[in-house]
Amino acid sequence: MYGELHWRTFAGIAILLALGVLLPLVLPEYFLYLGNTLMMYAILALGLDLLLGWSGQFAFAHIAFFGIGIYTSALLQIRLGVPFIVGVPIAAMFAGVVGLLIAIPATRLRTVYLALATYAFAECAQWVFRTWDSVTKGSDGLRISPPDIFGYVVGTDRRAFPVMAIILALVLLSLLYLTRSRLGRDLCAIRDSEHVASASGVDVKRTKMVAFVLSAVFAGLAGGTFTLFQSFINPDSVGLAQLILVLTMVVVGGSGSIAGVLVGVLLIGLLPEILRAAPRGLLVWQEFAYGLILVLATMFMPRGLWGVAKTFFARTPKSAPTAAKARQPTS
Amino acid sequence: MSAILSIRNLTVRFGGLCALNDFSMDVAKGAIHALIGPNGAGKSTVFNCISRFCDPAEGSIEFEGSSVLKRPSHDVIRIGIGRTFQNLELLAGMTVLENVLVGLSRRIPNYLPFGPSPRRSRTEAQAVRDAEDILDQTGLRPYRDHLAGELDFGRQKLLDLARALAGDPQLLLLDEPAAGLRNREISFVDSLLLDLVRKRGVTIILVEHVMQLVMSVADRITVLNFGQKIAEGSPNDIRSDSRVIEAYLGRPSHA
Amino acid sequence: MSDLLLQAAASGIVTGCVYALVALSLVIVYKSTDVVNFAGGELLMLGGYTGLLALIYFELSYPLMFVAVIVAMYVVGAAFERITLSTITGRRYSKKAEADLVPMVVATIGLGYLLKGAVRVVPYTEEVRRLPPLLAGPPVFIGDVILQQQDLAIIAVTIVVMAGLTVFFGFTRTGKALRATSQNPRAAALIGIPVQSMRMIAWGLAAGLAGIAGILLSPKLLMTPDMGNVVMLAFAAAIIGGFSSLVGCVIGGIALGVLQNLVGVLISPQAMAVTPFFMIMMILVLRPQGLFGELAFKKV
Repeated sequence: MYGELHWRTFAGIAILLALGVLLPLVLPEYFLYLGNTLMMYAILALGLDLLLGWSGQFAFAHIAFFGIGIYTSALLQIRLGVPFIVGVPIAAMFAGVVGLLIAIPATRLRTVYLALATYAFAECAQWVFRTWDSVTKGSDGLRISPPDIFGYVVGTDRRAFPVMAIILALVLLSLLYLTRSRLGRDLCAIRDSEHVASASGVDVKRTKMVAFVLSAVFAGLAGGTFTLFQSFINPDSVGLAQLILVLTMVVVGGSGSIAGVLVGVLLIGLLPEILRAAPRGLLVWQEFAYGLILVLATMFMPRGLWGVAKTFFARTPKSAPTAAKARQPTS
Repeated sequence: MSAILSIRNLTVRFGGLCALNDFSMDVAKGAIHALIGPNGAGKSTVFNCISRFCDPAEGSIEFEGSSVLKRPSHDVIRIGIGRTFQNLELLAGMTVLENVLVGLSRRIPNYLPFGPSPRRSRTEAQAVRDAEDILDQTGLRPYRDHLAGELDFGRQKLLDLARALAGDPQLLLLDEPAAGLRNREISFVDSLLLDLVRKRGVTIILVEHVMQLVMSVADRITVLNFGQKIAEGSPNDIRSDSRVIEAYLGRPSHA
Repeated sequence: MSDLLLQAAASGIVTGCVYALVALSLVIVYKSTDVVNFAGGELLMLGGYTGLLALIYFELSYPLMFVAVIVAMYVVGAAFERITLSTITGRRYSKKAEADLVPMVVATIGLGYLLKGAVRVVPYTEEVRRLPPLLAGPPVFIGDVILQQQDLAIIAVTIVVMAGLTVFFGFTRTGKALRATSQNPRAAALIGIPVQSMRMIAWGLAAGLAGIAGILLSPKLLMTPDMGNVVMLAFAAAIIGGFSSLVGCVIGGIALGVLQNLVGVLISPQAMAVTPFFMIMMILVLRPQGLFGELAFKKV
């Protein structure tokens, strides 16, 4: 959690970007759609982990900020003709502002009350999206036109893929730097012991709020990317199901570690596809599968799959490289 | 004698229980002042008030002339008071070096955390050097990259101390630094504390049960029982004070 | 207009009773194990479907169905505690007791999803079902207020259950042991109370309560695997009541039921859906201890 980034990290990011450009040339449209979805979930999950894994705040408002990001960037485009490249950062910032407003009361609450209050907020947000139909068109949904980024029209998943890859790369880099900074250490200190953090000069309340806001910004950003490759928006995309999905990704992959979360996104995100491909259409077992995985993960993998992998590889010398994807772990 | 810390009429109540009752104490600058008493006497409560983890019903605490009670808990290290914890509240998920880096936190200048910059590289490199110095002082350098939660008990206590020292405190509150340590380790802590006082002019308040340490390093001892001060004086005074003996002494160091 | 309000209030009391039962289920678990049971709603749903299974498939009589559901749900709750939760608490990898809470709560979220998914997979549940009511027949008039016979049944059963629980917690050995465990587990263990068993009993009891709520509610609502969403109403009820006592749950439940219906009449039907969430946020921010709870002291 300190020091410079290893050259292997930069290599990993470079590989991500290379894949971002090359894969659209060879893969079928459907796989690229999957890829885009996974990358969006990656941003969403990493943001949730900032709150859950790094600073230990058990808050579920995340999906609301995702929705705010989606609707804000969509409405900016539809109503005001704001281009994607401007609209998405605005949406992310706006989500951050709402995050700040929520953080002020939320950081005063203890664990379980925090979970309940933020979950209630998420439900309220979804209700607003559904009911304020003069603005959001409610359950009928909003239709948006393909974003235009300096002449590059993102009309298909194939064209959206490299843009997603670039955005994800930027998110990963900023988080990797954050993890190795004083702020990153302060955040994790709060999770392990608020007393030690406080006694070391960390303003616990303010740092918790910072975590909240950052997490909301990432969720808002993920929402913005939703508009990149989805043309239809409706409130069903921002509800409990998505929240559970992202939570499962974080818990199963390994909360508190960037690589862990990415592993979780990959596995849990591909789960519906695996079920779909299975012989008798096991897709209806999806919910059951997620529930079972969550329960088993909490029982046997407290640090997620990544934690298991780290323990397994801990016998080997420290210089051993990590997963084949060259996505670097935190410390 | 100039008092670096002045506690006056401190009274703390938890629900119906009175943890501290009209407690007053002066700590001289550059001294090692021990606070002893049976379990539940209120010693940690004194520390918790100074650290601002609890609010007294009455009383005042002044550090170098300014009121401590007006400050939020994260300011306490900023004015120069550091502490260790009886329950060993370590950052168990972080490494030894990272624990000390957190202890250094308030001394690390601001920089933008999301990307590279020369200022960041410089600041972080300096922080790591400072942290390693402290690890050297406390003998923890070999365990630099071990997870704090995996150290043995004695080293965890040293890490707590190292973390507190990283904040560069002028007044150090040590909550049972020797509890559970072996004799060899106690001597090490002993010499470390004396070093701090003599070479760096740090003042130390020591809550302790291990009499061996208390009697050998303390300049002055305050005795608490049931939230009230029952005696105060030099180690010799306390050793022979009948009230103290009655309260709980008569049992030298255990472990 | 006042007729409408009175009617709304009356139906609010009825639904409030169901919320109170589920709220009580949540509070029992919370007080014995510090865990917030996000699967409370799914336990209700499972209770309803189990009742349906007992009545239709096994052709049990209504009273026997009650018993069957309570027993079945007790087993589910106890099993979850034994299998999943004690595995999590048994594995102390951190000094902070609170650190165990997060995986436990996540486990309850998983349980909820698991139960919902399992029920949804069964082809029988694809169609929306209805559980036959306990009391059927022509509606009853109390003044200008119309109540269904099932509504009266709900109120009656709730009163019986509350009375039963009061006796249980106040006068039986197990009940008193449960109370002791929730107040101070360490002291309870010292006296010789088997804390592990107490947790299991608490979960079983809570699941049974949710099951009863399910049987009561299912005749009024359409049964789907998503029925469990009413749990948020139970949470709101529990929070209003202070998340601490039987009385709190009842008052909280009724208050919420009435409030929700009044909102529906006075503001809009759409606003009804958001009332519980709004209440949860407001109370946790403004008065976290609700009506009857206590503010916890920060342990240092």
